[in-house]
Amino acid sequence: MTNLDGVFRREWGPAVAALARWSGDITVAEDAVQEAFTEALRAWPRDGVPENAGGWIVTVARNRALDRLRRESVRPGKELAAVVDDIRARTDHADVHPVRDDELRMMFTCAHPALDPTSQLALTLRLISGLTVSEIARALLQSEAAVGQRITRAKNKIRHANIPLRVPPAESLPQRTPHVLSCIYSVFTEGYWSTAGPSAIRDELCDEAVRLAGEACALMPGERDAQALAALVLLQDSRRDTRVDDGGALVPLDEQDRGRWDRGRIARGLDRLQLAAGATGPYLPQAVIAAAHATAPSWQQTDWPTICMAYDRLIEITDSPVARANRALAIGFRDGFAAGLAALDEVADDPRLARSNIAAPIRADLLRRAGRRDEALEWYRIALDRGGSGPAREFIRRRVAECIGPD
Amino acid sequence: MQYFALLISAEPRIAPDPESQAAGMAEFQAFHTKAGSAIRGGDALMPSAMAVRITGGPDAPTVTDGPFAEGAEVACGYYVFEAENLDEALALARDVPVAKFGAVEIWPMVGHMPSTQPLDNNWIALLLEPPTEVLTPGTPEWNELAAQHAKFAADAGDRANGGAPLHPPSTATTVRVRGGEVLLTDGPYIEGAEVANGYHILNVADRDEAIKVASMIPATTVELRQLAGVSGL
Repeated sequence: MTNLDGVFRREWGPAVAALARWSGDITVAEDAVQEAFTEALRAWPRDGVPENAGGWIVTVARNRALDRLRRESVRPGKELAAVVDDIRARTDHADVHPVRDDELRMMFTCAHPALDPTSQLALTLRLISGLTVSEIARALLQSEAAVGQRITRAKNKIRHANIPLRVPPAESLPQRTPHVLSCIYSVFTEGYWSTAGPSAIRDELCDEAVRLAGEACALMPGERDAQALAALVLLQDSRRDTRVDDGGALVPLDEQDRGRWDRGRIARGLDRLQLAAGATGPYLPQAVIAAAHATAPSWQQTDWPTICMAYDRLIEITDSPVARANRALAIGFRDGFAAGLAALDEVADDPRLARSNIAAPIRADLLRRAGRRDEALEWYRIALDRGGSGPAREFIRRRVAECIGPD
Repeated sequence: MQYFALLISAEPRIAPDPESQAAGMAEFQAFHTKAGSAIRGGDALMPSAMAVRITGGPDAPTVTDGPFAEGAEVACGYYVFEAENLDEALALARDVPVAKFGAVEIWPMVGHMPSTQPLDNNWIALLLEPPTEVLTPGTPEWNELAAQHAKFAADAGDRANGGAPLHPPSTATTVRVRGGEVLLTDGPYIEGAEVANGYHILNVADRDEAIKVASMIPATTVELRQLAGVSGL
């Protein structure tokens, strides 16, 4: 039998987006496409997958939605009854076939700034990417009930507060596009940096972020920040398979097997980077840093001056203390570890870092590389005391053992 | 559709001098000119020191005099906006002068009974509920409560001067403007506090009559605030 999961995953987003435009209501759209998929599960194994599977899904979903509206319209008092007339009036003259802008419209609606960022992420994964509530719950390390309630609330807000299903007018795009890009980047970071969830889900999130970033580029061809985001996720994702060892511990960049980096993704990332020139958002400098690592023949031959410059630019844009801390490490490689430690001193007391565990491991690493083993050991232990994810702690324990061990 | 905008700010400890008061009024007038017919109602509220809280509902009303939290951020005004969608309502909220130093909550309204009489000697009764006990519009429980409010309005006659139920707090959006940047947050301004889920405007002779009428309102808590009668809306 053909892999129906693959077909479903591919057709879900466009079908929900087309039905949403057609009906003007995303809950109606989601339910109808869900019903069409259920129908497909019955029909396709028997009759075979239709040539135009997407068209089949959309047509069946539309018919199911019309049936449902007919039922609801004669059941006064039901919540949906209020929107039935509106939908019927609209659907009389609307074409249900997917159009190119449908998915972009959904991206802007799911990433509406009046929705909490976690809700934006959950809604995007559900309505555009077609993940189930249980998959999203596993990816976000939350209970299924909590994620289900979050998605329902967000959909209710879209309906009742009347968040428009549209690509915002041109004058609002500079404010709204960053929310869409940031939501896509969250899909990636949940997959790439969260080291706690099951790896299959995390792989799926990384792949989906790469796909969504590519879609955003295709749908907004002039948007350089979208190109920068696509470059960033491709270049970072090229290292996905080498960043954790078989035992589940993080492998630092300088110890990764560069031969196993995904050359295809690196090439595509570099192409995107070319198109991103002139982007003003936070993704371009991060993509430049990722590209410098991806193209370095070895850790020793990394282009640290370029990386330091990109960090300077990133700090200019975001004023991020995390970027400052990471910049200190890059300075250490460019100008010597004493200079790196001095740069770290400038940010280590930033109150915004007080609750994170960013600066201590960087300080320990700089001290270790400078040969100051006792002090490094002290800071690795401080980093361990401050918590962090399992794989990150596993890695720091290894460093502690190295510092203590015979040398 | 219509949106209820609740304006929230810290109350000044001392009355502002006439000059800054005039400047403040001018900002509001500029907003009214710009927003034009999108504003369907609204007014400033008198200081919360003059407010009254009524708990226990019509059967056993308990009256407490304000202020309720010294120095806290409190409701200082409201608007009713007519807007095509949330984006338009948020664009209006962003221009409300209070957004620059306080916050503006935007609540979708379930319906709207506009005020039929002038607002010059009116009080607003904000219906407050714990967020967990807010009913969902369209459910039988909500319909039952709405019927009780309709009965209240009928019983109050001329003294009920419009009002509306609001959608649940999860549909609200808070708008603040800081350093020229618009900051949106999902939900009401103060998380976990009692939330407004409806209001009545009361057209009454004085504070005593306001308390008498508000005591008839079927709500867990009613916060009664005198309108300043300055909006000219």
